[in-house]
Amino acid sequence: MRQIWDFHGGIHPPENKHQSTRQAIKNAGIPQYLFLPLSQHIGQPAVPVVEIGQRVRKGEMVAEAIGPVSVPVHAPTSGTVIAIEDHQVPHPSGLTDSCIVIETDGLDEWTELTPCEDYEELSSSDILHRVRQAGIAGLGGAGFPTAIKLHPPRNDKVNALILNAAECEPYITADDMLMRERASEVIGGLEIMASILQPEECLIGIEDNKPEAIAALREAARETQIEVVVIPTKYPSGGEKQLIRILTGLEVPQGHIPADIGVMCQNVGTSAAVYRAIRYGEPLISRITTVTGDAVAHPGNFDTLIGTRMSHLLTQAGFNADKASRVLMGGPMMGFALLSTDIPIVKTTNCLLAATDLEFPQPQPEQPCIRCGMCAEACPAELLPQQLFWFAKAQEFEKAEMYNLFDCIECGACSYVCPSSIPLVQYYRYSKNQVRTTKLEQEKSDKARERFEFRQSRLQREQEEKEAKRKARAEAAAKAQAARAAEAEAAVDPKKAAVAEAVKRAQAKREQASAPLADLTELESNVQKAKDKLAKVEASLQQAEADQSDMTDKLRNAVAKNRDRLEFAEKALADARKQSSDSDNTGTNTPPQDTEQLQRSIKRQEDKVATLKNAIEEALKSDPDRAAQLQPSLDKSLAKLAELKSALGTNSSDQSENNTPAPDPEQLQVQVDKARDKLLMMQGMLDEARQESPSDDAKVTKLTRAVEKNQERLTAAEKALTDAQQQATPVAPKISAEELETLRTNIDKARDKLSMMQGMLDEAQTESPEDEAKIAKLTRAVEKNLERVNAAETAYQEAGGEIRDPVSQS
Amino acid sequence: MAKSYLEITQDGLWKNNPALVQLLGLCPLLAVTGTVVNAIGLGLATMLVLTGSNIAVSLIRNFVPESVRLPAFVMIIASFVTCAELLMQAYTYELYEILGIFIPLIVTNCSILGRADAFASKNPILPSALDGFMMGLGFTLVLMLLGGIRELIGQGTLFTGMDLLFGEAAKSWQLTVFEDYPNFLFAVLPPGAFVGMGFIIALKNIIDNRMKRSAETKKEAVTTGSKRVRVTGTIS
Amino acid sequence: MALLQITSPHLRGKNRTASVMQWVLLATLPGFVALTWFFGWGVLINVVWASLLALVSEAAIVKLRKRPVMFYLGDYSAVVTAVLLGLALPPFAPWWVTMVGILFAIVISKQLYGGLGSNPFNPAMVGYALLLVSFPVEMTTHWATPSSLTELPDFLSTLQYIFGGGNLNIDGVTMATPLDTYKHQIDVLTREEVSQLPIFGQHVALGWEWVNLGFLAGGLLLIWRKIITWHIPLSMLAALAVCSLVLGWDPDRYTPVSIHLLSGATMLGAFFIATDPVTAATSRLGKLYYGAGIGILIYIIRTWGSYPDAVAFSVLLMNFAAPFLDYYTKPRTYGHRKAHRGIKKSD
Repeated sequence: MRQIWDFHGGIHPPENKHQSTRQAIKNAGIPQYLFLPLSQHIGQPAVPVVEIGQRVRKGEMVAEAIGPVSVPVHAPTSGTVIAIEDHQVPHPSGLTDSCIVIETDGLDEWTELTPCEDYEELSSSDILHRVRQAGIAGLGGAGFPTAIKLHPPRNDKVNALILNAAECEPYITADDMLMRERASEVIGGLEIMASILQPEECLIGIEDNKPEAIAALREAARETQIEVVVIPTKYPSGGEKQLIRILTGLEVPQGHIPADIGVMCQNVGTSAAVYRAIRYGEPLISRITTVTGDAVAHPGNFDTLIGTRMSHLLTQAGFNADKASRVLMGGPMMGFALLSTDIPIVKTTNCLLAATDLEFPQPQPEQPCIRCGMCAEACPAELLPQQLFWFAKAQEFEKAEMYNLFDCIECGACSYVCPSSIPLVQYYRYSKNQVRTTKLEQEKSDKARERFEFRQSRLQREQEEKEAKRKARAEAAAKAQAARAAEAEAAVDPKKAAVAEAVKRAQAKREQASAPLADLTELESNVQKAKDKLAKVEASLQQAEADQSDMTDKLRNAVAKNRDRLEFAEKALADARKQSSDSDNTGTNTPPQDTEQLQRSIKRQEDKVATLKNAIEEALKSDPDRAAQLQPSLDKSLAKLAELKSALGTNSSDQSENNTPAPDPEQLQVQVDKARDKLLMMQGMLDEARQESPSDDAKVTKLTRAVEKNQERLTAAEKALTDAQQQATPVAPKISAEELETLRTNIDKARDKLSMMQGMLDEAQTESPEDEAKIAKLTRAVEKNLERVNAAETAYQEAGGEIRDPVSQS
Repeated sequence: MAKSYLEITQDGLWKNNPALVQLLGLCPLLAVTGTVVNAIGLGLATMLVLTGSNIAVSLIRNFVPESVRLPAFVMIIASFVTCAELLMQAYTYELYEILGIFIPLIVTNCSILGRADAFASKNPILPSALDGFMMGLGFTLVLMLLGGIRELIGQGTLFTGMDLLFGEAAKSWQLTVFEDYPNFLFAVLPPGAFVGMGFIIALKNIIDNRMKRSAETKKEAVTTGSKRVRVTGTIS
Repeated sequence: MALLQITSPHLRGKNRTASVMQWVLLATLPGFVALTWFFGWGVLINVVWASLLALVSEAAIVKLRKRPVMFYLGDYSAVVTAVLLGLALPPFAPWWVTMVGILFAIVISKQLYGGLGSNPFNPAMVGYALLLVSFPVEMTTHWATPSSLTELPDFLSTLQYIFGGGNLNIDGVTMATPLDTYKHQIDVLTREEVSQLPIFGQHVALGWEWVNLGFLAGGLLLIWRKIITWHIPLSMLAALAVCSLVLGWDPDRYTPVSIHLLSGATMLGAFFIATDPVTAATSRLGKLYYGAGIGILIYIIRTWGSYPDAVAFSVLLMNFAAPFLDYYTKPRTYGHRKAHRGIKKSD
């Protein structure tokens, strides 16, 4: 005796099965019309492959499966397809769905079938393919495609293949009769399925209220390994999870399928259909349906073609429409009420219950829950229905979910036992729907939020890009403007342009030949070193030659090497000098150059000239050859000096204009003033020296020289300033009247100051002529002021104003 | 924000009654309303403190910085409570003994601090004073009512011991409503006070609902009445 | 033909709340009969008077709540409350005691909380506790002397006495309960002397033992009919017995276990009051804890508290704990590895 377990809870409603087991299975016959819904299974609905008006034969595929989770639909009998339209289908909602309507011709002509005598010849995949093509879905009520179910995910090992023969729900006897009359088909199907799955054991779980079926099955399974296990009658032991627990003691973990624990459950009807499909090649076109209830006169089981309208079936059973208060598809615990009887039978229709009011009285009004706990005693899923009820009533759906609301199989045991007639299952369905709706809305709002955030970030990014672009553009514009300004100035003065070009060229050259300028001195020293070495070696050679030593050849080689080295060094020096002189000539040595730098180079050159001149003089005295040698270099230096000077001249003008891309005559003015002050200071010092220590010639000379230099500087700066001012005027915008006024006032001010200073000078000259310092100072002040007036007047004139009697003329 | 004096009065006595609507100060309410005289005693003390503290808080409301206003208010309230306590100790010693700890506990009466913070700190002196007085009066009335009920149900008498408060002459005020009354201890104990409170609040809500409904029906009647009047043509 | 559109399930069992309540009433009969036999008509009068008042007051409240009166009265729950209260009260309790008790129980403790199923506390026990606290004299001195000891007044006299008339000499027919007697006398007398006292009769406690045995029989009937489960009565009695045996093993100082179990309202409490489904814990394990808690509390209050009988207070105290017990003794659902504890959402 095989060990069986028990599951928690369960109820024992009155079975009421005897009414429909009195007779054998009857054939329901061929109705005039057949309505074949395209979706009689879980998964994608089938797609029609026939057209309206097409004649089909029995067993011909009229709709094919789409995708893996789908099964085809076949014509249950021969006839003509007259429509593919929406029709009411068996569903609690009462909605319509697409159906193929076939008008039968009564000939019942079979199509070509592909039977197979011995299923063992077929491969597993072939069998599965045939099962799928035969349109077999789970006939137990759910309608899951059998081919998929027989192919466990990840090829899990199946330990126990169970056939569900429990049929626990009251009134339903379809499986019972099937097993009684066609047990061999059931067993055959089980064997076929076992050949695919290769389970450790095959079990058939059957309740003990079906003794005939048990006997028939046992008889049919006599020579097989299949074990028929009798279980106590209890509702709902036919539930998959409950049956597995009873037969194997295992529990299917929440959220998993039985295949995950190595168990598979199939309905006996499905098994028989599989047998017929493989053995005879017949697709699933009919099933056994119980028609029972007090409103039918002759309850019984009918072998019905799929698509038969229920009215046809009910009439066959002697349906009394007046007595019927409700017609259920399925059993009294989990079946749903039908709105009309014109609905077709589908693959999952196991029972039609036409009940009277007496049989199933109207539900009583709900009384308050007295927390008796009987529902928890009865629940096969070991839930707390009472708590779920309280939460559903209080709309606390999260708490209900926490209490495992979704583990409820809606079997109805709890509401069966409830003394207060509370419609518990309805509360749970409502709660489940609320939870699902909330989840959907949550998902929607999450998506909406994602979209919003993305949009925000996108806008921000665009903003930043715009900013960056704008900045880049601004910079580019500034640069372009600067370049354009420089070019504009270059365009105005072609000489300046040439200079600029030369500057650019020299700069490039300088960058190319990076070393020369810096290494000029180094090269010179190299040359000198080479020269010395050469001289030394030559001397030693002479010595060796004189001494007739063996080293002569070596020395001779050494001499030659040194001579080459000297030549190389001289060449390098000459090149470098040439380059530097070139760059000096074009003035690129110091492109954004100060006048001062040019002046410095001029000074250097002058010193060089002076040194050369001295050397030549000395050489003339001692070594005329050397003098001749030195002469060309002197000439060169002189020429260079002249060039530098001219460059200085142009450069000053260049300078003043080069300095005014960011033109600042004010800066130049400052320079001018500075130069002037310096000059005056030097002059003062000179005067002092002349007065106090006229004998100190060196000092006097130095000071004189300094004064001269400063004078030059001053004139240069002034020229630069005037040029800049001249330059500025055409570039600068028209001077406004206000600015003219300002210039005018400047002139007046300068003139006043000048006259004042002159007055003071005259005073000093008349009153204290011996105070030479003061007189000198005042003279200088007068001169300064004169200059200032000149400058102001010039500016005014350039600005476009008229001066009647300019001081500069006087 | 500025309320009229009528509104203040209505609030304090009915609409925002500290005991029935705000449900503040329930501790003394439930503990000392065993008899009417206890209730009146504590109610008067609370009224005094409320009025005084409201005036004082309103006086200083512009000088107290936000962060220390609550300690400042509590100090003021505590001072007034001390005054009240000393007064009771001097003039109504037996009652003072009976009320015991609940007189100093007036400081913790949330309605006093509540009014100080919610009203007196934001309103000038006269409205604050009126508010304090009316709130205190509303509180006292509820105390008296509950005290009366509890005394009646618990001991079968009314106005026992009024001489403790009002002097010797008040001894004669005592009414013995039920003779040989088996004292219903439950009503004298705090649970009875809770239940009594609950019923009084329910009664107030019933009255409020009735008033609201009658106001609504009156409004409807008014609107249905005023339709456009025909000024021309015949009315057949 | 208009077919009913209705959702599954379509079958209902035969259980009805009214029938549950009726079975409970039926089960009180043995104890009821014993009480009347031993302690006079007072019990019957009390029960009838309480039932009447209960129905009237419940009808009044249901009407105020604007609900169908007969529908709510028809579940017999008010009658059960009244009967239980009436059985628990002293036989000579005046009419107004019963009235206050039942009115408080029905109106405040049951209806004002939302009616049947919504009350957190056992209404009969709330009423009883209220009476015990409010009218200590009437509740402790009106216990009847067992009929084998004295001639109890007849029906009419009792009726007159209870309703405030007549000329019954109450002192002659009242006596302390065995629990009360033992508790106070053991300080003075020895055990043998105490057990000689007439109140204790030949067995455990005169009259009271039969009453309790009657209620025990009724309780067993209820268990057999699956109206209640065995968890609460068994755990309560076991806890009481264990406490008594372990802590009060010395009969010279403490009331012995037999008196604990067979006198007072122990059996009534165990099978009828503690098992009130509305206020008890619901899961099986929770019921065990609940019952055990009541038993322990009964012992503690009886021995060291100032009340002779403690069933009412113990039940009320455990009513407080029932929701908590429910949260922490949830059964494991099929397919889950272990049960969920507490009320926070688990991961």
